[in-house]
Amino acid sequence: MKFLVGYTATPAGADALALGVRLARAPGSELEIVLVLDGGERATLTPTDPGNNSLLLEAAEGWLAQALALVPAGFSVRTHLEHADSLTQGLLAAAARLEANLIVVGAATHGLLGRFAIGSVASGLLHSSAIPVALAPEGTRLMNTDEPISRITCAVGTKAGAGGVLTAGILLARTVDAPLRLVSLVAIDRPGADAEAIQLAADHAQAVLDYATEHLMDGLDVTANVASGRSIEQAVRGLHWEPAEVAVVGSSRLAQPHRLFLGSIAAKMLRELPVPLIVVPRDFTATVGE
Amino acid sequence: MTLEIDASEAVEKSTGGISKKGLSAGSVGLVGAVIIGISCIAPAYTLTGALGPTVAEVGLQLPAIFVAGFIPMLLVALGYRELNNAMPDSGTSFTWATRAFGPWIGWMAGWGLIAATVVVLSNLAGIAVDFFYLMLSQIFGNSAQIAGLAGNPWINVGTCLVFIGAATWISYRDMQTTQKVQYWLVGFQLIVLVGFGIMAFVHIANGSAFDPTPVSLSWFNPVAIGSFSAFAAGLSLSIFIFWGWDVTLTMSEETKGSRSTPGRAATLTVIIVMVLYLFVAVAAISFAGVGGTGVGLGNPEIQGNVFFALAGPALGPFAVLMSIAVLSSSAASLQSTFVSPARTLLAMGHYGALPPAYAKVSPRFFTPGYATIASAIVAAGFYTIMRFVSEDVLWDTITTLGMMICFYYALTAFACVWYFRRQWFATVRNAFFTLTFPLLGGIILTVLFCTTLVDSMDPSYGSGSEIFGLGLVFVLGMAILLIGVVIMVVQSKVRPAFFRGETLSLAAPRFGERDESDE
Repeated sequence: MKFLVGYTATPAGADALALGVRLARAPGSELEIVLVLDGGERATLTPTDPGNNSLLLEAAEGWLAQALALVPAGFSVRTHLEHADSLTQGLLAAAARLEANLIVVGAATHGLLGRFAIGSVASGLLHSSAIPVALAPEGTRLMNTDEPISRITCAVGTKAGAGGVLTAGILLARTVDAPLRLVSLVAIDRPGADAEAIQLAADHAQAVLDYATEHLMDGLDVTANVASGRSIEQAVRGLHWEPAEVAVVGSSRLAQPHRLFLGSIAAKMLRELPVPLIVVPRDFTATVGE
Repeated sequence: MTLEIDASEAVEKSTGGISKKGLSAGSVGLVGAVIIGISCIAPAYTLTGALGPTVAEVGLQLPAIFVAGFIPMLLVALGYRELNNAMPDSGTSFTWATRAFGPWIGWMAGWGLIAATVVVLSNLAGIAVDFFYLMLSQIFGNSAQIAGLAGNPWINVGTCLVFIGAATWISYRDMQTTQKVQYWLVGFQLIVLVGFGIMAFVHIANGSAFDPTPVSLSWFNPVAIGSFSAFAAGLSLSIFIFWGWDVTLTMSEETKGSRSTPGRAATLTVIIVMVLYLFVAVAAISFAGVGGTGVGLGNPEIQGNVFFALAGPALGPFAVLMSIAVLSSSAASLQSTFVSPARTLLAMGHYGALPPAYAKVSPRFFTPGYATIASAIVAAGFYTIMRFVSEDVLWDTITTLGMMICFYYALTAFACVWYFRRQWFATVRNAFFTLTFPLLGGIILTVLFCTTLVDSMDPSYGSGSEIFGLGLVFVLGMAILLIGVVIMVVQSKVRPAFFRGETLSLAAPRFGERDESDE
């Protein structure tokens, strides 16, 4: 698999790089570090200045060299400088050109008064990416990059469109050689409907588990859980999370062009989860057997 | 491994490959270039700031001095363009003067540029404050109380600091207005200014003008100005009104279309601005006269910001449009002006002429973050001190500004002459563009600088503020330059490499050489 890291010389960029390195540990995986600079195509009040641009280019080269120094030896890694009008556009263009399978960005939060808000780049990507996007939470950079991914947790919904998430989860579990955990999240806000809802979810989880085991021919370790709580947040919190694991969620089923692509459940998970989150597009397809 | 083909080749060369693609791709057409030019000159802001002080110097001959002021500007800008083509560098005057004359003079040229832009930043913000409260009072039923708030030094300084803070934040985050917004802003500015002129003439025809003064040909005659001192002072002020125009000349890299686009854009810009200036100047004088009372342009009370006083009488119920025009013009100008000292500071940090922190580029926004904030702090501090020291902060800052522009433009012009010394007679074109024009421009500006400096020692110069019996403008000018010298000497002890010419060396392209750059 080819992992594309959207790098900036900021803590968020370091978070993204750290996650990228951990994901791309497996032999055969490739790491592409992309730094996006302003393409100068944007009409602005201040005329572009070739002298200033060359200084900027020099700084960018320095940042990429620093990024490269953070990647341990033995990786297949390349750095790229992309020029685009926005970071999001640059990353998408680079991903298409390099045929990357996954984009990793930092999801540093800059919410006002401590409220949660994902960065503009991450949210831009979530609106428009055709390949899965991994969001590295604040502080990912503090974890040792030698730490393998300990588990892939796949949140499978009970509704249509869950296939893409599962495919991506299986693919990823194979790539990083980690056990796969399938969870079905159930929010019980109406007392009385509990038993029925849990039963439904459990049935679903079992069905998904059967499907997954069918497709994991080399016998990866697969488990299935039903997590319930008064709310999705509580359900997520109720699960046990390993520090080195990664969660995979699907995008909103309602995702349309220019509509929020991060579904409400995924958004809630992002807010609650202490681990990196990979968001899979609604129509994501890949041959599981490949 | 996938095989990379075709389109990706140019961008991705090998491991660590860096593409230079797309860097100078930002292209603007003729109209876009003209818009940027007008936007950088900011006619509404410039006129309100410069009309009064210039009338104070040259009286009725305001139109004449506006025309005359363009000549040294043009001469220097031509030299500026030659240097920009030969050595594109974000340090501009600093880098070029260093290459031509060595680190010490280069450092002072950079300092002059930074000082001029920092002074104009504080003046811009000051004008914006006045118009902000005027606009509020116009919106809320012409309450003189609200407009008067601008006169309270504490409220004034507080608001000004907020404006400077906002402009810094915008520059730091590189949030630029789009071209479409610019078209509207510039168009609006032009319409309001023309409307102001027309309304002024309507009032004159109706006999309702404040002090109807018949237009006379002598207004256009620079010889009619009483003394050379007045002429020089007026000229150094009118250089300020064209400041920013040189931008259109140096956009050669970015303009799309034929090679002649930048030249045509520069010409078109200056024709539009010149016609506008003359029209508004003639209208303002005919309407209000140059008397020393009421809204007469000679009244020291209103000279720092004339549209503030004239908008009401001339435009009546539409006066609020003038406030919006000046406010938006100041906002646009704040944006484009902020870039200039920040980029020069960045280059100075980069070449080791200042602490390396100035060379820091924000990794998130790709702007010279440290340098931007540093210029903002200095501009805010400068304005605050001036507000309490000067009797008319706007007036004195504009006069000081004229002096600073003369200083660094003259150095830049001479740098052009000296840098190209071995190529002067390579072609007829060179003889004019690298020798005659910049030399002439440099000499004119030097004369202006010296005359202004000597005259401003008189305590009654400018708004009449004084310190230790010397004119405030003189003290300011000298203080700014001396502080520069002190910082330079300190830097030369701490960071001797630059001052030994190790980071940026002397150079002069040889006869017949196409051009020379840093590589």
